[in-house]
Amino acid sequence: MALTAPDPTAVAAVAGGEDRRRRSGYARYAGAKIAGSLGSLAFMLVVGFFLFRVLPGDPARTMGRGRLSSPEQLEEFNKLYGLNQPLGQQFVTFIKNTLQGDLGYSLLYHRDVSGILAERMWPTLLLVGSSTVLAAVIGVWMGIRAAWRKGGPFDRFSTGSSLTLYSMPEWWLGLVLIAVFAVGMGPLPGLFPTGSLHSPDVDPSSLEGVLDTLWHLVLPVVTLTLAYLADFALIMRGSLLDEIGSDYLTTAKAKGLRDVDVRNRHAVPNALLPTATVVALSFGFIVGGAITVETIFSIPGLGLLTYEALQVPDYWLLQGVYLVSSAGVIFANLLANLAYAWLDPRVRT
Amino acid sequence: MVGCLAPGLALAVGGPANAADEKVTFTVALRNEVDSFNPFLGILVPSFEAWALTYDYMIGYDNADMEPTKTGLATDWEPSEDGLTWTFDIRDGVKWSDGEDLTAADIAYTYSRIIDGGPEASTWGSYLTEVESATAPDAQTVVLELKKPNASLPLLPIPIVPEHIWKNVSEKAVKTYTAEPKNGKPVVGSGPFRLVEGTAGGSTYRFEANPDYWKGAPHIDEVVFRVYKADDPAAQALIKGEVDFVENLPAVQIAALKDKPGITALNGASPGFEEIAFNTGAVDTETGKPMGDGKPALKDPAFRHALGYAIDYDAILDRVYQGAGEVGQTIIPPAYQDFHWAPSGDDAFSYDPERAGQMLDDAGYTKGDDGLRTMPNGDPIGTIRLYARSESPTSLDTMNFFKEWLVDLGIKAEVKAYEDNNLTSIILEGNYDAFAWGWFVEPDPGSMLSYMTCGQLGGWSDSWYCDKEYDAMYAQQATEMDREARAEIVKKMQQKLYEDSPYLVTMYDVIGEAFRSDKFACLQPQPEPDGVLIMQYGVSSYLSIRPAEDAGDCDGLTSGTEATAGGSSEGLSTGAMIGIGVAAGVVVVGGAVVAMRRRRTVGDRE
Repeated sequence: MALTAPDPTAVAAVAGGEDRRRRSGYARYAGAKIAGSLGSLAFMLVVGFFLFRVLPGDPARTMGRGRLSSPEQLEEFNKLYGLNQPLGQQFVTFIKNTLQGDLGYSLLYHRDVSGILAERMWPTLLLVGSSTVLAAVIGVWMGIRAAWRKGGPFDRFSTGSSLTLYSMPEWWLGLVLIAVFAVGMGPLPGLFPTGSLHSPDVDPSSLEGVLDTLWHLVLPVVTLTLAYLADFALIMRGSLLDEIGSDYLTTAKAKGLRDVDVRNRHAVPNALLPTATVVALSFGFIVGGAITVETIFSIPGLGLLTYEALQVPDYWLLQGVYLVSSAGVIFANLLANLAYAWLDPRVRT
Repeated sequence: MVGCLAPGLALAVGGPANAADEKVTFTVALRNEVDSFNPFLGILVPSFEAWALTYDYMIGYDNADMEPTKTGLATDWEPSEDGLTWTFDIRDGVKWSDGEDLTAADIAYTYSRIIDGGPEASTWGSYLTEVESATAPDAQTVVLELKKPNASLPLLPIPIVPEHIWKNVSEKAVKTYTAEPKNGKPVVGSGPFRLVEGTAGGSTYRFEANPDYWKGAPHIDEVVFRVYKADDPAAQALIKGEVDFVENLPAVQIAALKDKPGITALNGASPGFEEIAFNTGAVDTETGKPMGDGKPALKDPAFRHALGYAIDYDAILDRVYQGAGEVGQTIIPPAYQDFHWAPSGDDAFSYDPERAGQMLDDAGYTKGDDGLRTMPNGDPIGTIRLYARSESPTSLDTMNFFKEWLVDLGIKAEVKAYEDNNLTSIILEGNYDAFAWGWFVEPDPGSMLSYMTCGQLGGWSDSWYCDKEYDAMYAQQATEMDREARAEIVKKMQQKLYEDSPYLVTMYDVIGEAFRSDKFACLQPQPEPDGVLIMQYGVSSYLSIRPAEDAGDCDGLTSGTEATAGGSSEGLSTGAMIGIGVAAGVVVVGGAVVAMRRRRTVGDRE
């Protein structure tokens, strides 16, 4: 989460400008932000290339140990995948191909990188995406309730348990869930599968397949949701606590509004802004995948793919994953910026 | 959410049970993906298993001693007197899964693609060394013409592909040809199974039995491979019955699974070894000048060989590998009986620190006043750096033991772990003293022996061992056509390596395997009688395996695994119970502690 949130030091814009001018101001702001994002993306592209080339390791040696036994075979392998070309030439080819939409060829799986990414993307989106949504919704709800009755039994319970879950290693939580809910314990039958995304004999695009996939996703999603919960719950709780003493809430209460209305209509909307930033950025990181949970539950997602590609190192696959995940973060950041500016005109200048 | 999950549960719970009545599916938990179904591209072990199910080979292997047999497509073969022409007789009546005949032409075509170079040669070239051409003068004959005799023939572990499919795949297109099912059509092969679903890098692969297989239809209807990346979930899936077989489990898991009813767990012998390798003198391959910072003492064969007596092999086996494996000696494992050489009697390494000390004294590495041994000229030996692989906990444990034994001998040592890729570059730069790693050895000893030749310096040589006498023997065995005469040379080469000790072989490997013996029986070990049950050369296990209730005597197969009484999957291991207890405890206590802290501060403030 090293990326910057929308610029908070914005100077107040000229108030009361005419509508047309305000709109053109927004367009200029949006244009600048989009151009900035494209610039970051281009920068990432270059960094991605050299970052993985300086990694120690030689793909022919990692993959060919015990297989490509003669020096001639090693040479042939390097020639085949263009690994014997000078770095500069490889870089030019990489930029040229990427601009044409060709992400290159995976050394590890002997296929086009874009095909692999497309295949590995949706398990990750399903797993990390739904966990993030669930964690955000439940976390925000918990945070609101906890803050509104600060120090009450719910606050103590939710803050304590979400912090504990946050500090637990994900793989361990996953293994415990597998042992209890997949294999079954005592009288409890094993309700859920131990791993993978769907049963082998089910067509994932059929209705049965969709339900089967959901059934397989329960444990991994629960694991990740529990792990992510504290992020959202604590930030929401903190920002709502900041608002609680404010005068406008006293005014609202004085007007005779019900407690729930004071909370939901007045306090929460103002407290939601920092949480919205965290949620937006979390969505950017979805495509990064979740290596540990993907490994434990054998879900073929992008996190696991990155780990495997790093061991080779499979340069083109790594560049592809890197490009996709940095594009995700940059895009989410851009959306957050644009939304902020829309919500809060002061940001635009 | 709950609403839409409930029908999913019902469907999924009911689904597999119904399907089981219809067909017999053998589900294997693989530990890695298939990297390509294209036999000219893949490199990872699961890919070899997938090809073996899909395609046939010209030559088979004997499960007992791994000698070439006539159980493949060739019914007989004959080398010419000078060893430059090999003639193979090919079986009649074998058909591809699309109904076309498999003839000698398909075999010659497959080999020719490799001989012609390109990606095919990168993967399989070493097996066809010296082979100039592969032709099929008629449908039942394959002829190989050689420039020089090649002793590794007739072993050719190359899957035979159908010419009528592959002739449409140009040399340039091979690199991107996936050889996977397309539009619901299975891949064309001649093997006992065919791939109907799955893609390289995927997590599930489904193979359907070929009822017309020429050796007879398999006794099961389907083989399904599912990828499990983590040990524990794979073992849990076996206990639950989601998979029938798990390969490559660590010894601790095997020990835990042994007591489970309905499960057979074993450590199958596998032709590989673990070694401690030394930097015997790295040189720049261009200039021939010494390179790197290896300690001079390790350049002396006498010094290295003496260290062979400083290692407690039994302690490594018991304490590092939990007893799973066999004490190692030389680089060709005993599974290959014909080629394996073992030192006898007094020559064999055994843990004998006094003898090691005596040998070091005799070689001039005597102890100084500080209790440390010195070089014969009185210089300090320095601290021997022992490198382990961070990917392999056993290599780290081995080196930690080795360090203690070296210190006992009066030699300073330190242990450091490196990630594989890092360690590889360190070795290639010659900046090391010793490291722990291992090799898998193929039925033909040629490639393993070649890694110790001068020609592999800067290539696969990781000890920088280079010896003219050894190289001469290597060249001699490579062209020796008489198997017995060749075995004699191969044994002498092992003896030479044993004496010069660029490697100290610590262990012969085993691979942990576990399966539902209440559901399936008649798997065949390779090598017999205690080898691995799958991931072998050939597919004998997949042909003989059958449901436990139909096992009978496995059609007279004496080495087949037996069926055992089933057990309903019951409770959890104690370890898991404790884990869960601790987890629940942590949540409750954590919650309570934070709750109490909050109450206290709230109390203080108000």
